[in-house]
Amino acid sequence: MKLNQLLWAAALISVSFACSDSGEEKPLGKYNNGILIMNEGNFGTNDGEVYHLNPSSEALLPNIFETENMRPFAGLLEDMVFEADRLYLVANTGKVEIVNPGDFKSIGAVSAELDQPRSLAVNGNKLFISDYGPYDASYATPDSYVAVVNGLDGGVVTKKIAVSNKPEDLFSHGNYILVAGSEENKIEIIDATQEAVIKTLDLEASPKQFHAEDGILWIYAVKANEVIFYTVNLSSMTLGTSYTVPVANATKSIAFDGDDEMFVLTSSGWPDYNDTVVSIDIEGSKATVTELMTGSGFYGIGYDDDLDQIYVANAKGFQGNGTVTVLSETGTVIRSFDVGRGPSGFLVY
Amino acid sequence: MFLLLWAFSLVAASPIQDTVKLVEVEVYAPALDRFAQGQKVMSWKKEDLESYQGRSLASILQEKSPVFIRQYGAGMIASPSFRGTSAGHTAIFWNGLPINSPSLGQSDLSILPISAIDQVSLQFGNAGALFGNEAIGGSIHLESGSRFGNGLELGLMQQVGSFGMLNTHLTGGFSTQNFSSKTRVYREFSKNNFPYKDLGLIGTPEVKEDHAKFDQIGFVQDLGWNLNERNQLKAAFWWNQTNRDVQPVMGSNTRDEQEDQSIRGVLDYFHFGKKSIWNLKTGIVQGKMIFNESLNQTTQYFVSGDWDQTFSEKWNTKTGIRYSLAQGKLSTYTADDTRVELYQSTKFNANEDLAISLNLRQLIYSGTFAPFTPSLGMDWSFWKRSNQYLQLKTSIGKGFKVPTLNDRYWNPGGNPELKPEESLSGEIGLNWSGTGKITWNQGLTYYKMSVDNWIIWLPKGNVWTPENIKKVSNQGIEYQGTLARQIGSWNWKLTTSYTFSKAVTTRGTDENDQSVGKQLPYTPQHQANANLRVQKAGFSSLIGTFFVGERAVTADNPRTMPSFQLFNFGMGYDKLTFGKLRFPVSFQINNILNTDYQVLYLRAMPGRSYQFNLSILL
Repeated sequence: MKLNQLLWAAALISVSFACSDSGEEKPLGKYNNGILIMNEGNFGTNDGEVYHLNPSSEALLPNIFETENMRPFAGLLEDMVFEADRLYLVANTGKVEIVNPGDFKSIGAVSAELDQPRSLAVNGNKLFISDYGPYDASYATPDSYVAVVNGLDGGVVTKKIAVSNKPEDLFSHGNYILVAGSEENKIEIIDATQEAVIKTLDLEASPKQFHAEDGILWIYAVKANEVIFYTVNLSSMTLGTSYTVPVANATKSIAFDGDDEMFVLTSSGWPDYNDTVVSIDIEGSKATVTELMTGSGFYGIGYDDDLDQIYVANAKGFQGNGTVTVLSETGTVIRSFDVGRGPSGFLVY
Repeated sequence: MFLLLWAFSLVAASPIQDTVKLVEVEVYAPALDRFAQGQKVMSWKKEDLESYQGRSLASILQEKSPVFIRQYGAGMIASPSFRGTSAGHTAIFWNGLPINSPSLGQSDLSILPISAIDQVSLQFGNAGALFGNEAIGGSIHLESGSRFGNGLELGLMQQVGSFGMLNTHLTGGFSTQNFSSKTRVYREFSKNNFPYKDLGLIGTPEVKEDHAKFDQIGFVQDLGWNLNERNQLKAAFWWNQTNRDVQPVMGSNTRDEQEDQSIRGVLDYFHFGKKSIWNLKTGIVQGKMIFNESLNQTTQYFVSGDWDQTFSEKWNTKTGIRYSLAQGKLSTYTADDTRVELYQSTKFNANEDLAISLNLRQLIYSGTFAPFTPSLGMDWSFWKRSNQYLQLKTSIGKGFKVPTLNDRYWNPGGNPELKPEESLSGEIGLNWSGTGKITWNQGLTYYKMSVDNWIIWLPKGNVWTPENIKKVSNQGIEYQGTLARQIGSWNWKLTTSYTFSKAVTTRGTDENDQSVGKQLPYTPQHQANANLRVQKAGFSSLIGTFFVGERAVTADNPRTMPSFQLFNFGMGYDKLTFGKLRFPVSFQINNILNTDYQVLYLRAMPGRSYQFNLSILL
């Protein structure tokens, strides 16, 4: 089985496939088309925001949350999750804002009882929110959890399910929520009805993102010198085949091109801090890794399947606004433009 | 008495300087502007600080000076910006000891309470030669002291105010002709549970701040001895502890707690010769900060000596040396830094209207030479009439900032290869002063400065590291005026100030840096304040306002914060007596119009607040 047969469209890092059962086509609004650019914002300033880009006309609308709601987003934007006809804006400063994807008008929020939320998944009428929990004295997060909220438009946290340290992405399937336990290399499976962890899968790398297609769930996980793509058999909730690719210093940022490739950001970190964009092409058991661009400050990646273009966000040291560079699939720079502060991801409709 | 002789000679040498004049009842303190010709200096004495009792240094600077205060909430971290420079470009001294944290290179003005201080002076512009490290944008000089010959003095002040404010200050002093002691104990507490519109919540409801509690206690001891006519000892000790719930930025629900504890002690020995003053000074400054549970502690030891000599009516010099040892014990590193600095000042009084000074300083830190800093200045009263005169002040000088311990040693990321920041500045000012029915002082200053090798921390992957990257150029105009008049039995005094400051990045992080040519973040171009004080017999009333112009959140300026103007009002009566006891009472309203404002983005600030002060003095 070739990975490239399994991956298509849906380029945003965290958009999971639970919404594929909604079926019905909604009329397009002002913002639920084109590309949403997620700008995390600066620590201590809470100036996270969303920009909207029309990739054909190149028209860019800044700060659309503040424009449509007459108040600042006021948070560090960690993730954007499009599920159940709603757009969930997850702020790791302790809240989730819920907007109508078409006009970006606020329709609800989860604003109490959260510490450092990372991502969100919808299951039935419940929201599951992964949260690092509070830092302890040595900046560790021993009290990480997944918070449960009854109601898709937000409300109060009714339960916190303890999980391994630093949970990241979530994936909802059937009656289960899978949790990417990034620090302890675990996948924890929560029963959505019981609201309890019922099973744990141990990995050899740190899981960052889920990606699903055709009943098979993929886990993107990273180690120091390689990345591993695991598969999960969703009927038995067991690990299947895995693919190990020699990519060093991979970050959590990945985009899928829908045909045959994935694009990953790497960073050598301290002290050389060389960042790269690499493409990974898996054919059978053979993986080809190609370096597309090098630089410093890369902070997010996305892929536009319509125009076959790669979007690379650069946070520019958080000193001010960041930039986005558009690349062809072969790494040719097409254009570059300024966006908000700390651009970190893309939602491509 | 030699002390008195000195008072006369100093006054005679600089007839029109508004300086601390040595009066025989006071413990000697060298005048700040003795060699600061051509530089802008302003100061507030005990009586000016009266209406700021119970508040911090941040408040008086924001409301009455051209300095901009970057304030992270009510009672939260507040740092000064002189002439568009950053918090690390302000040297702060307490009784002549530099008290900026050697690890951070700056001080939090919110935890420098006015009640522990008797005099505040501000000096603007580069003064590396006169004051050393970090005097780039300017410097702040805090003095405490006792007086001789006053017998027993006791005082109790109680303040009650909005948002759970409860302050208690106790003062006790005893002095003879040759010995003086003054003790102060204080507690300043505020729940800071003020209401504000929470922009981070859906529907922006009005909520009460529930995590900005401020609790500060402190103890100050001042001592002075006249050993004999020629020798004086002076000692001061200050312990201050502040516990704060750190007010979260709107949209965050952090529950951080910060404890700051400082111990500062200084011992001065003065020998008054026929035409010279010898000063030996030794001191310790210790700062301990516990943020949540992580502990950062620094200790600095100082020993210095200088010799101030008057050769003739025309020539004065001061020569000195200071040794300091800074020790940092932080959560991520431990480091020491030894510094030796030599300084020399010379003043030439051509005549009573013209004084020129030349100052030089060389600092060596951990074996590295900081930039040599000379400065040259002139005061020239070129036009005089019976009751008024015009004075020209001009100076040029250099300043420097040694990379802080954090800059050099923070693990990971610290950069031991950093060079000191270096600055050059010049200013020219005109003062017009007059006395008579109306007394006035109106001054206009133009300044220009540049700071090179400006250190900024940039993220490199997951690690932040400092680099000597930016170059910044500042220029501006400062207007400052006072106007006083007696009408019948009413005394009126109006003080006004306006500042225009253009501080732009001239070299950025790279060729695409959008900040080049733009105003520095959180640096308003326009700032103004005005205060009117009216007095009759024991009654006084004060109305004040200050305006802070638009300022950008980041260096590339895409988002700006709106300007704001606040009004304060106060009145008091201090002639209430019972036998020997006096009972001054006063009442104050801050932010009268209940203006909703933020100094920094999404940092809520309190609306209207009330405060009652009652004292019992013996």
